[in-house]
This record gives sequence, structure tokens and C-alpha cells, in this order.
Amino acid sequence: MTMKTLLAKIKAYPYLPYISLGLVLSLIPTLVYFDVLRSSYVTLIGAVMIYTIVALGLNLLLGWSGLISLGTAGFMGLAAYASAYFTVNLKLPFELSVILSIAIPVAISVLVGLISLRIEGLYLAIATLAVSEIFRKTFAEFDFITNGFSGKSAKYPTLLGFFKLDNTMTYLLLVIVMVLIMILIHNLINSHVGRALNAMRGSEAAAQAMGIDLLKYRLVAFALAIALTSVAGILYVHFIKYVEPSKWNLGLSLNILAVIIIGGVRNIMGTFVGAFVVFAVPDLVLKQIPYFGKIANFAYIVNGLTIILVILFYPSGLIRVFTDARIAFNKFIAKTRGKTA
Amino acid sequence: MGSQYYSVGGCEVSTFVQLVTRSLETGSIYALAALGIIIIFRTSSITHFAQGAMAMFNTFVVTILFTKMDMPLWMALIGGIISAVTTGFLVDFLIIRHTKKVSPVAKQIITLGLIMVFVGVIPMMFGVEPLNLPQFFNTGDITFLGAKISYNGLFNISFGLIIMFVLFYILQNTKWGLAIRTTASNEVVARMMGVPTKKVTMAAWAIAAALGVIAGVMNAPTTTVTPNLMDSVQLNALVACVLGGFQTFYGPVLGAYIIAILQNLFAYYFSSTWGTQLLYIFILVFIVLRPHGLIGKKVIKKV
Repeated sequence: MTMKTLLAKIKAYPYLPYISLGLVLSLIPTLVYFDVLRSSYVTLIGAVMIYTIVALGLNLLLGWSGLISLGTAGFMGLAAYASAYFTVNLKLPFELSVILSIAIPVAISVLVGLISLRIEGLYLAIATLAVSEIFRKTFAEFDFITNGFSGKSAKYPTLLGFFKLDNTMTYLLLVIVMVLIMILIHNLINSHVGRALNAMRGSEAAAQAMGIDLLKYRLVAFALAIALTSVAGILYVHFIKYVEPSKWNLGLSLNILAVIIIGGVRNIMGTFVGAFVVFAVPDLVLKQIPYFGKIANFAYIVNGLTIILVILFYPSGLIRVFTDARIAFNKFIAKTRGKTA
Repeated sequence: MGSQYYSVGGCEVSTFVQLVTRSLETGSIYALAALGIIIIFRTSSITHFAQGAMAMFNTFVVTILFTKMDMPLWMALIGGIISAVTTGFLVDFLIIRHTKKVSPVAKQIITLGLIMVFVGVIPMMFGVEPLNLPQFFNTGDITFLGAKISYNGLFNISFGLIIMFVLFYILQNTKWGLAIRTTASNEVVARMMGVPTKKVTMAAWAIAAALGVIAGVMNAPTTTVTPNLMDSVQLNALVACVLGGFQTFYGPVLGAYIIAILQNLFAYYFSSTWGTQLLYIFILVFIVLRPHGLIGKKVIKKV
């Protein structure tokens, strides 16, 4: 096999973007070790990956099936608290805690979905908003589980009962989980489920006529979104090691929505770009701007405005910038060549 | 309170009357907010998630006019309504008008983006200190069936009812009302029939914002004026729309009063912490039985 065919084969490998992203991200702890980057970058990029996982779930729901959920933060908080309670108070093994902390939110989401998805898409947004409100109240009131407003601590995960992870190892676990989920979603949207969701978004009536059960596939999309939200909640509590009730408010749900819209609807890599823009750029860039950086909530306003502007003028999201830049560059090259010839 | 309620029959009635009047007061707030949401929903086919955020923003304007500029409350309220009408106009003129080709889901997301903008600018414009807004009438009450009802409560109930009565009168009996109803039933046909749908939508956004600020000013004395001022009102107003159905203007108003009454009854007779939560679960179950709300009817889609 020549070098050229090998390169072409690697280039055609469908998971290449996800795996290379994972490899780049896994270099960050090493760069921190050699003092190239500040140590806070590990926490920052780790958080970006956690929000990427939530947003991937929500992107499946919003992008591919056209449904809005406003309960993201509530469900994420539920999973985080559940995992903290199972590992710290009940001393369950990490793996079992993960399974339970995914199963509980998903079971609740199926119930909520069964009720609200039977009617119209818009009811899901209102129902999840109400459910999220119930959760937030529960986090504050059930202090024997959640420790109330003083917040609850958790530890880094212990795999298989003896393999204790530290900060860097947990970060690498985040990278692996995120890349695996990206590959999973890539496969899912190219399977019959993805095609069914796509058909439903195009025309519900036509999809129904083709024998697609609307309720079933909407429910599948919602349950999958909540499952990924729960995974992110669990990773959050074992990476940041602390949760408090006020974290899981509507603002977080809206920020995660902003991730999808800004990064790119129906785009896996775009979701990561969006999460980076929404959750890392404020700390890295916006706070450095002289006057505006001092304004409280500046990032929140910028995200809100960006959502509106992207929907009105650039509906494919920021991930499209790369393609558009390449097209513009090629045009420019062609033009200058035409002139010189 | 509890022992009295069990011992004396007369007290039971008075407690109940007190609960109902308090419910009517919160019901007015929810109803005004819900009416704002349904007017937008019917004329622009957008679920207006930012109704509460815009109301909160304009209530801040009222509070600043009242506390920092020493205006009387009624004048501050008028200032707030002017500011509300302006924000409503601007939102329609700058954003909503340009969403003809945007999908319904994306339109909802635009209103979610609006929440972020309106909540976000509060600390920058009005500071981070929680502010207070007083009631219209601080003292005085009347006794009815052994229950004490404050003048302010009576004022809120009647003010809410009068505004809604006037609005429904306009909707049913004037040319403008007819234009709004025509736009609500079918925007494209309405435009072809010469209804100025652009002006109608603009008016709808202004009216919704004004209703919001009135609800906000009524709600403010029960709590402090913070960015979270209207969160629960917004949620209850949305739930009222679900309960009453999205197909009529009066359904959500009815839903709002029902929710307020049940909420207070649940809170008093069941649990003050979990009453509202239980109510939401009840409403979810109700939706299973009547998916299109109390008044709503199934909309038949043509393919």
C-alpha cells in the first residue's frame, strides 16, 4: 500500500474528526504540566466537554426531531445529586451509581414525554419547564439527600472498586466519554432512528404516512437526550466535586440551548464549537475586554443576542464559518489566478 | 389558625373566603400575563417565553421611576407602560418582523434568547441591589363574611378584571379587534383581505408588554424586585394557557384563575411547600384526559 492510498483511507475514516479532537484535548493536561497553559484550563475545558455532552443530547432532540426541552438543567442536576448520594451516602460502586443515576431521570422523562408528546411539540417545552421547577424546589427541600443550600460534595470516580482517578485521569475519562458519545450519535443519525427523526422534522404527516410512529420516535429522542444529560450530570458532580441547588436554573438550560444554536444545529463538531464559545470564551476572551468585561452578565447578554442573530442571519451556526471561509478563499484564489493569466 | 379552623364553623367560612379573594388577586396577575402570551401566540404564532422577562424589565423601570425619581406610583406605572409599549414595538420591529421564513421552533428559541438579553441587562442598567415596590393602597381593609380583604387586594382584583373586560370588548366589538381576530385565525388570508397584519402584530406585542408590566407591578409588593420577579408568574401563565387551551383568548384567562384558586387551596389544605408542585402534576394528568385544554378543540391539519 502506498502512502497516498493510506492517507486517503485515513481521511475517509468517518470517526476521524471526533478522534482527532479527542487526541488534541487529551494533550491539555500535559501542556499544563509543562507550564505552557494555566492549570485552570483543565477545569475549563473539562466543563466545556461536559456541556458538549448535554448539548449533543439536546441537539438530537432539537436539531433532529424539532422539539424544545427547557428542563435540561433540572434533569442534569437530578443525575448529579443522585450520583453524589449513591456514591457518598450509600457507598455504592461508581458503575452501579452511574446506571441508577441514568435510569432514574430517564424513567421520569419517559413519563413526562408520554403525557406531553402526545399532543404537540410545544407542550414538551412547557411540561419540562414545570418539571425543572419541581426539581429545583426538591433540591432545596430534600436536604437529607441534597444537603440543601449548603451544597453537596462528591469525590473523583473510583473505577472497578480499586482504580481511584485523580483530576487528570477524570479529565481523560471525560475526553473518552465525549468522543464515544460523538461516535454513538454519528452512528445513530445514520441509522433508521435518525432517518425517522429526519422524516418527522420534514413533514409529520408524510412521516406518519410512511408508517413512522411519531410518539415512539419523539419519546426515543427525548429519552436519549435525557440519558446524555444524565451522563453529563454524573460527570459534572465527579469532576467539579460539588453541587448546589441554584446552579440548575433556567439560565443554564438557556445557555445549553445557545450552545446548539450558536455552534450549529444538527452538527456534532459544531456542538463542541458552540460549547467552547458559550462556556470558555467568556472566561478566556470577554473578561479581557476593557470596559465591557467588567459588566456582570455580559456573556449572558452576548449569548442571547447571538442566538437571535444566528437564527436570523446565519442559521447553520458557527461551524459553517470554516466552510464559508474555504469557499471564499477558493473564489479569491480563482479570481487572482484569472487576473494574472 | 389551624385550631381555629377546626373548632369554629364560622372561621372555616372566613378562611375560605380569604383564600378565594387572595386567589382572585394572584389570579388577576396570572390572567394578565397569560393574556399577553395568548395574544402573541394567536397573532404571531410564537410561544412567548420572554413575556415574564419583558414584564420584569419594565417593572424595574417602574421601580426606578418610583424610588430614584420620586414619582408617585401611578405616574411611575404610566411611565412603565410607555416603556413596555416601546420595548414591545422594538422587539416586533427589530426581530419578529424578520422571522417570516424562520421555523416555528426557531421563533420560540428567539423568545428564549430575548429572556437572556432582558435578564442580562438588568444588573448593568439597574444595579444588583434588590429593590422594593409598595402596594397602591398600604392600609385599609373591609370585612366580608368574617374575612378581612385589603383595599389593595380589591383594587388588584377589580383593576385586572376591568383591563381584561376592556380588552375583550375591544376584541369583540371594534374594527381593531376584528383585525386582531382575523389575523389570529389566518394571517395570510387576513393580509390578502387588506388587514394591516404588520400593524396588528406590532400592536399585539405592545399590548402584551403592557399587560406584562401591569402584572409585574401587581406582583412586585409580594416579593422583591429582582431578575427572578416574574419567573413563577411566567410559568403559571404558560400552564394556564395549557389548561385553558391555546385556541381561544378567554381560555387561558379562565385557566389562570383556576390555577390561582387551586394553588392557594392546595397550599392551605395540603402543604405550603409542595402545593404548587402537586398542582402541576395534577394539571399534567388533566392534560392526558383533555389534551387540548378546557376550552380548546383539536386543530385539524390539512396535508
